[in-house]
Amino acid sequence: MQQKNIFSTSMIHLFFWLFTIVSLIPFALIFMVSITDEDSIAMNGYSLFPSKISFAAYTFLFNDFSEIAKAYGVTMITTVIGTAVSLLITALFAYPLSRSGLPFRRTLSFYIFFTMLFSGGMVPWYMTYVNMFDMKNTLLSMIIPNLLLSAFNVLLMRSFFANSIPESVVESATIDGASEIMIFFKIVVPLSLPIMATIGLFNTLSYWNDWYNCMLFIDKPELYNIQYLMTKTLTNIQYLIMKSSSSAQAGDLLAKMPRETVRMALAIVGIAPLLFAYPFFQKYYISGITSGAVKG
Amino acid sequence: MKKSFKIAMLTMLVSMIALAGCGAKGTDEQAAAGGKSEDGKLKPYKITLVYPGTAQKDLAVVQEEMSKYLTEKINATIELKPIEWGSWDDKTNLMKISNEPFDLMFTASWYYYPRDAAKGQYLELDDLMNQYGKDIPDVLGPDFIKGSRIGGKLYALPTKKEFGQGFGLLLSKKLVDKYKFDVNGVKSIEDVEKMLGTIKANEPGVTPIISRKFTNVWEAANYDNIIAHIAVARGSKEIKAIDKLEDPKYIDFYKRMNVWYKNGWFDKDILTSDTDQAMNMIKAGKGFAVASSLKPGKDKEMSLTSGTEVVQMETAGPFTTTGDAQGAMLGISRTSEDPARAMMFLNLLYTDKKLLNMLDWGVEGKHYVKKSENVIDYPEGVTADTQAYPSPGGWMFGNQFNSFLWANEDPQKWEQFQKFNDSAERSIILGFAFNQEPVKAEMAAIENVNKEFEASLGTGAVDAEKTIAKWKEKRDAAGFDKVKAEVDKQLQEWAAAQK
Repeated sequence: MQQKNIFSTSMIHLFFWLFTIVSLIPFALIFMVSITDEDSIAMNGYSLFPSKISFAAYTFLFNDFSEIAKAYGVTMITTVIGTAVSLLITALFAYPLSRSGLPFRRTLSFYIFFTMLFSGGMVPWYMTYVNMFDMKNTLLSMIIPNLLLSAFNVLLMRSFFANSIPESVVESATIDGASEIMIFFKIVVPLSLPIMATIGLFNTLSYWNDWYNCMLFIDKPELYNIQYLMTKTLTNIQYLIMKSSSSAQAGDLLAKMPRETVRMALAIVGIAPLLFAYPFFQKYYISGITSGAVKG
Repeated sequence: MKKSFKIAMLTMLVSMIALAGCGAKGTDEQAAAGGKSEDGKLKPYKITLVYPGTAQKDLAVVQEEMSKYLTEKINATIELKPIEWGSWDDKTNLMKISNEPFDLMFTASWYYYPRDAAKGQYLELDDLMNQYGKDIPDVLGPDFIKGSRIGGKLYALPTKKEFGQGFGLLLSKKLVDKYKFDVNGVKSIEDVEKMLGTIKANEPGVTPIISRKFTNVWEAANYDNIIAHIAVARGSKEIKAIDKLEDPKYIDFYKRMNVWYKNGWFDKDILTSDTDQAMNMIKAGKGFAVASSLKPGKDKEMSLTSGTEVVQMETAGPFTTTGDAQGAMLGISRTSEDPARAMMFLNLLYTDKKLLNMLDWGVEGKHYVKKSENVIDYPEGVTADTQAYPSPGGWMFGNQFNSFLWANEDPQKWEQFQKFNDSAERSIILGFAFNQEPVKAEMAAIENVNKEFEASLGTGAVDAEKTIAKWKEKRDAAGFDKVKAEVDKQLQEWAAAQK
């Protein structure tokens, strides 16, 4: 029995070790390419063990760091504000929906559900934000459109409130004389940390990774966010490759694009902070899962 | 449920009304402001120029300097609005649909010019040009303007630059010197074969020719391609579209490519390798040749950007098609609030050296210093990597022949361009542009079929006759006949309008 246990444990460990390595290799490769000498890539292609190491790509990037620093600033501001506001709105919408006493509860549920099935379409959507709300070239355009409130998150949170917060907890608080606001902030929110952390992580990721809004709404380079800064380099290259057979100029432009190593260095600069943010959320994940049980 | 449905409908209705109101307001404003310019004195106006490219660090500086100069000339200021290449489609489509006001936009035959012109995105320019752009026809010459017309109407003005394409190969200078290859004059395909054979025999480890670009270049050199491998043969005396897949010359060429492949002359990545990769291989001493469209000084340009020396060798004389005339243009948007002023600005781009060079190279003393009348260089301490205003690309704007030359460029560049332009053979259908809209659905299907066969045929790895026969079969099933009929129809209409 003991024997078998050790065997299966070591197999499980082995599997996860392999899985971790397979997941890490692409990152390692990107990093190694970013510090490889450009000529050595031309000669030998990508390699985890480059024949010649050079930090030229980073020197090139940090030579003018203001662009990257600004982009970081934009991403951080939108991510922090966006996540906080989005979480608050989502929770404030989802919680009443989970309570049976709410008037028009089904209508409101249907109303949010409806947006999951149908949308106004790209052009009206764009016109609403640009022509009506005049959000072009503002930070708001990277916070509100598409990202601020996700119907899916609301429904997810509603189910969590409905299933994991027993009516009796709310009732007992009411008997103790707590107002609705107090019940929500003092009792429901602390009991819902797991879902808050989950939705918070969803939001952080979608704000951090968003480049689409930036692409559509932002013309001013000082308002570019970090993801768009990276995406644009790659999409520019792809686009020019596509067009290079029909225009000689596209081919010429292609030759002037950042070199291989610079692209990889940019990717490293872009993902690094998020890697550090993960462990932070993980803490809440675990504490969320272990707490929150109701006795009786 | 019934109640909720009602509420949902109501919300939709309300938002629809709100949107409709907003859209209508936008168009009213334009109609009121459009096209007015006072007699005598011009009102101050901001011209918006939209073009593909990455915004430079010093864009604002250059913009301000240009605005100062323009205020003196036509009492206008300018807003430069570069849009990333990769975002161009999404962004400009929304700008056009949502009636966003802007004045000038970059366009080209390979960049939606025929489609946008058909949709009415650009204003018709003949009257405006006669009134406010009198100098432009003289600068461009009749052929350029003729080539820019769609259905007899001018919707955008082309940049004056190389008018035609040369075709040939870029060769590693090191190996050319070693084997004393003669690269002057126009070489036949047999001459090329001799060179590649020599390299294969004597230089183990060197790939004689990289990427399947050679087939692209050959096709462009021998046909004026309309669409879906329907083309007019170069040198044809009559306006008649042929199907390339049925042309014996075409089949013979691909048979030859099959031989090349069997000789092991191509690289092993031929399916995906591009010019960039080829230049890298040449740089690493692992490659000899890559096909390319040529213009005077192309080899010098490529040597500079890639860091390895190459020489160019022509395999066909220069050829001018509609695509070259419409290779880079500026159109005036229908949403422009003052098209007349936009045309005045265009007129300056073709005639005013100072303005054009500001747009192309930035501010003198800050972004470049003058070495002599027409030759410039980086200011001290500035390099290609640290410059604050890398050129947006002089080929997009006005009269490139007025643009300054860099110290490392051939000082005779524009004279050579002029010679090249004069010597290029004009296609018999110069000025014809095919409008895809009527056969859009068929084209999508055909395009898929083409993708499948073009690649394998281009690598030379397959038997030409069999593959082409199979290709034809699949393509006919995708609706090729309808496309061919549409081409014939449009071509006939165009030919009739030429008389």
